[in-house]
Amino acid sequence: MGLEDKLPSGILLTNLEKFVNYSRSTSLWPATFGLACCAIEMMASGGPRHDMARFGMEVFRASPRQADLMIVAGRVSHKMAPVLRRIYDQMSDPKWVISMGVCATSGGMFNNYALVQGVDHIVPVDMYVPGCPPRPEMLMDGILKLHEKIRNQTFAEQGAR
Amino acid sequence: MSEGHPVFDAEATGEPPSSGSDATSSMDLAAIERHVQGRFGDVAADVKFGELSLYVKPSQVLEVLRFCRDDEALACAWLADLSAVHWPAGDHSIQRQPSTTGWPEYRIDRAQGVIEVDYILRSHTHNHWFRVVVAVDDTTPRLPSVTGLYPTANWLEREAYDMFGIDFQGHPDLVRILMPDDWVGHPHRKDYPLGGVDIPYQNDKFIPPPSQRDLREVVE
Amino acid sequence: MSTDLDRAAPSDDFAGDVFVDGADWEAVVDAVSDDIITVNMGPQHPSTHGVLRLVLQLDGETVVNVKPIIGYLHTGIEKNAEFRTWVQGCTFFTRMDYLAPLFNETAFCLGVEKLLGIEVPERARVARVILLEFNRLASHLVWLATGGMELGAVTMMTYGFREREHILDLFESQSGLRMNHAYIRPGGLAADVTADFEDRCTALVVKLREKMGEYEDLLLRNPIWNDRLRGTGILDADNCRELGITGPLARAAGISWDLRKAQPYLGYESYDFDIPTETAGDNFARFLVRLEEMRQSLRIIEQALADFPTGSVMVDDARIAWPSQQALGADGIGNDPAYIRRIMGQSMEALIKHFKLVTQGFTVPAGQVYQAVESPRGELGYHITSAGTNRPYRVHVREPSFVNLQASNVMSAGALIADVIANVASIDPVMGGVDR
Repeated sequence: MGLEDKLPSGILLTNLEKFVNYSRSTSLWPATFGLACCAIEMMASGGPRHDMARFGMEVFRASPRQADLMIVAGRVSHKMAPVLRRIYDQMSDPKWVISMGVCATSGGMFNNYALVQGVDHIVPVDMYVPGCPPRPEMLMDGILKLHEKIRNQTFAEQGAR
Repeated sequence: MSEGHPVFDAEATGEPPSSGSDATSSMDLAAIERHVQGRFGDVAADVKFGELSLYVKPSQVLEVLRFCRDDEALACAWLADLSAVHWPAGDHSIQRQPSTTGWPEYRIDRAQGVIEVDYILRSHTHNHWFRVVVAVDDTTPRLPSVTGLYPTANWLEREAYDMFGIDFQGHPDLVRILMPDDWVGHPHRKDYPLGGVDIPYQNDKFIPPPSQRDLREVVE
Repeated sequence: MSTDLDRAAPSDDFAGDVFVDGADWEAVVDAVSDDIITVNMGPQHPSTHGVLRLVLQLDGETVVNVKPIIGYLHTGIEKNAEFRTWVQGCTFFTRMDYLAPLFNETAFCLGVEKLLGIEVPERARVARVILLEFNRLASHLVWLATGGMELGAVTMMTYGFREREHILDLFESQSGLRMNHAYIRPGGLAADVTADFEDRCTALVVKLREKMGEYEDLLLRNPIWNDRLRGTGILDADNCRELGITGPLARAAGISWDLRKAQPYLGYESYDFDIPTETAGDNFARFLVRLEEMRQSLRIIEQALADFPTGSVMVDDARIAWPSQQALGADGIGNDPAYIRRIMGQSMEALIKHFKLVTQGFTVPAGQVYQAVESPRGELGYHITSAGTNRPYRVHVREPSFVNLQASNVMSAGALIADVIANVASIDPVMGGVDR
């Protein structure tokens, strides 16, 4: 590791933001918000083949108060929308939202009376992962990009959300 | 529905007649048809695509279903499905997708709009099944509930109420089941729009590959 | 509140042990009027399968009444299909019961084929059977996985999804998608199966059969599994008949009814398999029924593979099949890219026909059919009404989970809250199908 070369002896210097963002990104706990088919792929990405635990994320918290990531996996109907908002509000800061699948992103193929055409009408979304359903690898790509985004975020940006 | 089922006959404009296999179970179906018509003389029936459909009046529904369930020859102890189809009044054109060849639109022209409710009755003992069709007026659709005969109809009738507005009298708990409780309208009716958002297709805009995109330009 | 705990006098037999009666509780309970607590479970809940909301009325820990509230996933698929062509309908209906998507497609396609009056080629028929049975396996694996996880057997989750990945690999190699394939279309299959299909299937059958032993080892004699599942959620044959319950729930109650045997479709009458039936009608019986169904599915797949026909996978009807599906003469297999290039390049008529068939779709004669298949959850029925156009006029889907979920009250009344979880898990509802 090149870190030792750059350090004065025995002292680890870091930027507080970098440290906090690093720890936030590596232990991002998702809240279970699986709705439809994407939920099965989300479960598969937590399964043994595509293992989300490698990234510190296999702990799907049932209670939103203990989670910091909400993966909206599936189609959000008008009946479910208030519930979604409520769960989002119950999460404590800092929180992030991944909109998984095209139904959550934009209503998907169901451009009709029953669905909210895009979950960003209800909650602010940090990462959109398209697909119907997205492969677990695609979801993990989105998650890793979210990790990068978290790591590069300053406190000011996070506080303004 | 006193006219048999003119709905399909009137609209079969020149399509080749279906070569559905009527042969396999027609004998049993014909016997069922005779059996029911022996008891209820004014029930029309036909066999199409190998399936028997009995057409009854709304006032007869409970009686006919009770007969189908309790009669030993029929013994239809299972209600497999309860569904509804809306044939609206007036000139209801069913458009084909727009084409370069200018195919004609299909039109359904009815004086009286109906909602057809279909009960699929199944017997395990005799291994047969058939359909009972009732047509109700679509402005104030009303039918007696069959939950007394088949408790499974509880949710099926709630769904028909929610989607078509059919009032099933005698149902223990006729409230909306799929739509939110305060929803206005009955979505599966033909006069209810599909909804959704209008997405204009901008065929003329050239969208470069992601590495060369400037988001500010596209959003504006 | 002053409490003088009634202490039982220490008996000589249990020297030193004191048993406290808590007799003052009745005084406390009487002061409060009959307390039925109403607890809301869901729609977001780790243990309800998807977005199911259960309103429980509890007397202490005993459940008095369970009222399921559904509709949180209503997508209007049936209405949306009225605005799409018949082939596009497959893409919509496949997303209803998303754990068994091929069943949705097959039931729809069989109904449309009934209306069209066509018979699919043998190769397509057998390929459908094989894929359907693999889908049944995948669905039961997810049931085992999620059911096990909800009841505490978390290892079952890893086992189930591990095996399911192999089945999804097979689906992906054939249809291009892991889930929601839209591979089974009216007239046959969207594209021919790959050259290594039979080998892949045979290898997969061997692997799955060996893994089934692992599930039994893990769960069958596990005391916690037995305690939680035996004797809970009892549904007897009369209940099933009244509530219209089909599938593994009915078979666990002793009703030996399987549409593959009773009203065979897709040539199931030519395969030799048993219908597992139990009589206890409790959750453990359903577990045994599903395990055995998985073994029977493997049996069916082996028989189908033993005699896998050659030929085309799409019906040879110019009104329905895309020109690129036509058989290549001596080869007998369509969808050769070179062939497509040739006919599209040379034959203007074929090009126009292909264009019209893809954009407008074929027309289906007017009429009404009801086609039911035996999905992993029960009788999946499609009631299709055609008005003679290129779009379905109305399709109503009789979903087994929708009907079976009505049993949750009967199963759980008088049970404990923990049993409600086990009961709902053993009904195996897929909310996409329940709400459509």
